[in-house]
Amino acid sequence: MDTGFIRVLLNPGRFFEARMQDEPSLKIPALIALAIGLITAVSVIPITNITMAMLPAEMQSLGLLITIFSAAVAFVGGLLGWIIYSFIFYIVSMIFKGQGDLKRTVEFTGYGLLPQVFGGIIGTYFSYQLLSGLNVPPMTSPEQIAEFSESLVTILATDPLAQIAGLVGILFTLWSANIWIFGMKYARNLSTRDAALTVGIPVGLYILYSIVTLAGWL
Amino acid sequence: MKPIYLAIVTLLCAVLAVAGPASAGPADITVTSSATDPPVLMKGDTGTLTVTIQNNGQNTVAISSARLYGSGVVPLSDSYASVGEIGAGNSKTFTFTVRADGGEGTFYPQFVLDFRDGAGSLRYPVPVQVEDTVLSASVIGKPDAFSEGRTADITIRVGNPRPNAASGVQVIPQGTGITVTPTGGFIGALAPDGSATVVFNLTPTTETDVAFQVIWRNGINTHTTDLVLPIAFGEDKRQADPVITNVEVTPIAGGYRIVGDVMNAGLESARSVLVTPGVPATPIDPFRVYVVGTLDPDDISSFEVTFRADAGTTEVPVVVEYRDDDGNRYAATTMVGVGSVAAAPLEERDGGIPLVGIIIVALIGLGIAGAIYYSWRRT
Repeated sequence: MDTGFIRVLLNPGRFFEARMQDEPSLKIPALIALAIGLITAVSVIPITNITMAMLPAEMQSLGLLITIFSAAVAFVGGLLGWIIYSFIFYIVSMIFKGQGDLKRTVEFTGYGLLPQVFGGIIGTYFSYQLLSGLNVPPMTSPEQIAEFSESLVTILATDPLAQIAGLVGILFTLWSANIWIFGMKYARNLSTRDAALTVGIPVGLYILYSIVTLAGWL
Repeated sequence: MKPIYLAIVTLLCAVLAVAGPASAGPADITVTSSATDPPVLMKGDTGTLTVTIQNNGQNTVAISSARLYGSGVVPLSDSYASVGEIGAGNSKTFTFTVRADGGEGTFYPQFVLDFRDGAGSLRYPVPVQVEDTVLSASVIGKPDAFSEGRTADITIRVGNPRPNAASGVQVIPQGTGITVTPTGGFIGALAPDGSATVVFNLTPTTETDVAFQVIWRNGINTHTTDLVLPIAFGEDKRQADPVITNVEVTPIAGGYRIVGDVMNAGLESARSVLVTPGVPATPIDPFRVYVVGTLDPDDISSFEVTFRADAGTTEVPVVVEYRDDDGNRYAATTMVGVGSVAAAPLEERDGGIPLVGIIIVALIGLGIAGAIYYSWRRT
């Protein structure tokens, strides 16, 4: 269990301390990021289907292609999230004179994404629940499509399911942040305080943005 | 003067003194007045004819009988078979019951007095006027249109074009499918060329004819005149007319929200105004029904209703219910299109999702908080 997922989730300090004894390896973090990418790809399928239903009949034949393209973009987006978080942590930690290999930062950031897998599964479930009940009327004009899109955004912003999914996502992000603090502490050789600031500043901004979006203040 | 002449003169005076009363009878009796009650009869009316005579002479006059006869106006009562004597300067009144059997005009039935002892008789034609003109009735006030269950004021004017007064005048509305208050209007006496009005509150439930029966008496004779008022339902030009404008349809969780304005474009107030979504829409909380209250003419009020609609529904009716001043209920429906924004979730969530969601979020939050706490404790 020293390198097990349970230890990452419940005792990340000891886990990363132990990992520091080995050479950096991106294999398992990449698998975690791939899992998140897959979950993200699956979660966009219902919204893609709704978008397809809005399109004129002559464009319906492109449905499969558009679905695959959307899933691929979502999949890559999941992987990109891993890389972006890693670089942000690496750059911010430089403010606190962090020292350590970038590869180690990327590795530990990937481990920190593990809670996002559970959050992604729960969020996808809510997404299917919300979007499967939508009634898409036949639309013939661009104005109708635009009007429908606006109403769809309104629903996604106001539906309790969407808000619950958003809250759940924030909670799992907090869990990831907790793991990342321990990860940055060891990967960048930071004090606990500096590691908390390294993770807390970007993640805090992200969570703040999420809350503002959920509350409809934007 | 010779005695013989004196004797003759004395004898003549004695003879004159004995024979005087008999010879003064017919000449001294005169008809001083005559009258009918009612003053003017109608065809078929029964009335009384009164004749008064007076003895203008110095002696008593013996009368055997008094009679009335004629055509057009015929006596119904018996003659005075034995009248008796009427003293000097006295009057006597004879009353006969008569009936107008002829047409209109002035008739002259003969009043005949027969004197005793073959002294002849007195004939006097009594003028009796017969006129068939009836009281007139007209509607001088009514609404532009009648509506089912809506109370309307009906004003009836009754006029008397007859030369004599009518008594006991009243107006009784009659008909089926109506409710009238009061059930009758009493006017009483109506002088010649006079008029009076009666106001009725009439509430029709069906299209029908209402007869306003004018009942009056001419003497002891009762007469009627009917005034028929057709009750046909139509649109009241003054009635309230709620119009829905500025409608905006917004999808919400579990349904739709319609916000808009309702304006009274009529000339009368709309009371107890309610706005509700109609079938096939199903009202849902929080605005199953929106109570606007009273909308005076040209008043405007915003409203908001929330509802759920089945898949494929492209438009739903928005029903405005209101009442008039009499409490009659009306409804106006406006169709509102929802097809282009029909994106509402269809699943029934029974309003329990927020509670379940809160529980889920709380459990996940507790679990994550526990994991974070545990990770720091083990450090």
